[in-house]
Amino acid sequence: MLLVQQQPAYVLHARAYRETSLLLECLTRDHGRLGVVARGVRGPRSRLRRADLEPFQSLALDYSQRGELATLRGVEPIGALNRLRGDGLLSGLYVNELVVRLCARQDAQPGLFDAYAEILSRLDAGAAPAWPLRRFERDLLQALGYAMQLRYDAQDGEALDPQAFYRYQPDGGPERCGPQTPQAVRGEDLLALADDRCPDDDGLRRLRVLMRDVLRFHLGGTELRAWRMLRPGPPPALR
Amino acid sequence: MSASSPLLAELIDALRCLPGVGGKSAQRMAIQLLERDRGGGRRLASALEQAMERIGNCSRCRNFSEDEVCAVCANATRDPHILCVVESPSDLAAIEQATGYRGQYFVLLGRLSPLDGTGPEELGLHALAARLEEGEISEMIIATNPTVEGEATAHYLGRLASAAGIRATRLAHGVPLGGELEYVDRSTLAHAFGGRQAVE
Repeated sequence: MLLVQQQPAYVLHARAYRETSLLLECLTRDHGRLGVVARGVRGPRSRLRRADLEPFQSLALDYSQRGELATLRGVEPIGALNRLRGDGLLSGLYVNELVVRLCARQDAQPGLFDAYAEILSRLDAGAAPAWPLRRFERDLLQALGYAMQLRYDAQDGEALDPQAFYRYQPDGGPERCGPQTPQAVRGEDLLALADDRCPDDDGLRRLRVLMRDVLRFHLGGTELRAWRMLRPGPPPALR
Repeated sequence: MSASSPLLAELIDALRCLPGVGGKSAQRMAIQLLERDRGGGRRLASALEQAMERIGNCSRCRNFSEDEVCAVCANATRDPHILCVVESPSDLAAIEQATGYRGQYFVLLGRLSPLDGTGPEELGLHALAARLEEGEISEMIIATNPTVEGEATAHYLGRLASAAGIRATRLAHGVPLGGELEYVDRSTLAHAFGGRQAVE
């Protein structure tokens, strides 16, 4: 049996398990995504507090592991309370769905934990979510070994022309195309993402469409549920 | 024992769908009904049958009801201008018992949670938006749970309300009555501290 102590982690999702337990999906620093059973935490005499196991809070977990699921032994919140609000909260739920859907359990990806911690702190600080989300998506794909090729034309190997239009192939890279091509992005949008510079609003909009396309490819063509609640403007239920 | 009677085995197996009932308890319940309380068993069977067949969802508030419109929605003495949105029928019951609230309800039967597969459609938000558009509601009380998913749902509902020009309010967070600050968890305490009120 493996005993792990004081492992930095975040809860990504919690669901009811058996009568009084919770099954947590956690993102740990050293062991990647991990399923953890919190025994009896929903019961009236639990030593662990349900409120400590909410998503987005930085935690130190003690757990033991035999087989695929770990058993929670102790939990301690670290640092300030993370209080995502409003659109940042919806974005955070999207990030969690993305991590659960793309990362296999117990497959540690160095860099992913830091990228996750960083986007939470940006959303917590009340930043507009679009650019932090694009950066996180880029870093997540890189951590998983699907790094995007953002500097060279995939067909001729030439450096991207900032003013030209490209169609991004999820399994290849940018290919030059006409400005009318659906989902075309400008060279400068891709270079901005590569150089970590925030593009203008139009560029952000084009990158959003592009990243959805790339993520859909890596998700095997399926949609994320969170996309349905992230549409900008008035909620879709009113349209 | 159950090998002697396939029907008994099936009854035991069926009872296990109840929360908190494992194989042992299911066997005890089945034997109790057969040995000592066949009348009670028949009553249970007929109540179950009726409930499963006839209880649907109220077309106004989505709460369980065997009529098209439930008793709460049909009650003409309740205030038609206030609408309280809750996650589940048990939340509705808790508010009914604990508060003197006399307005309308809307039951989401869940909360926004992408990883559980619940989005705006599953929560009946189209029906809620249509109800807000009717123009009779002037205040929407958002009584979703104080969890991350409940807060996300509250934010989404708040956007619906403001798009319809309706005042939205949220239940306050606070320390439990009769509690001691020392033992209150830090997130509740932080919420209560942030939402402090003037002493009157």
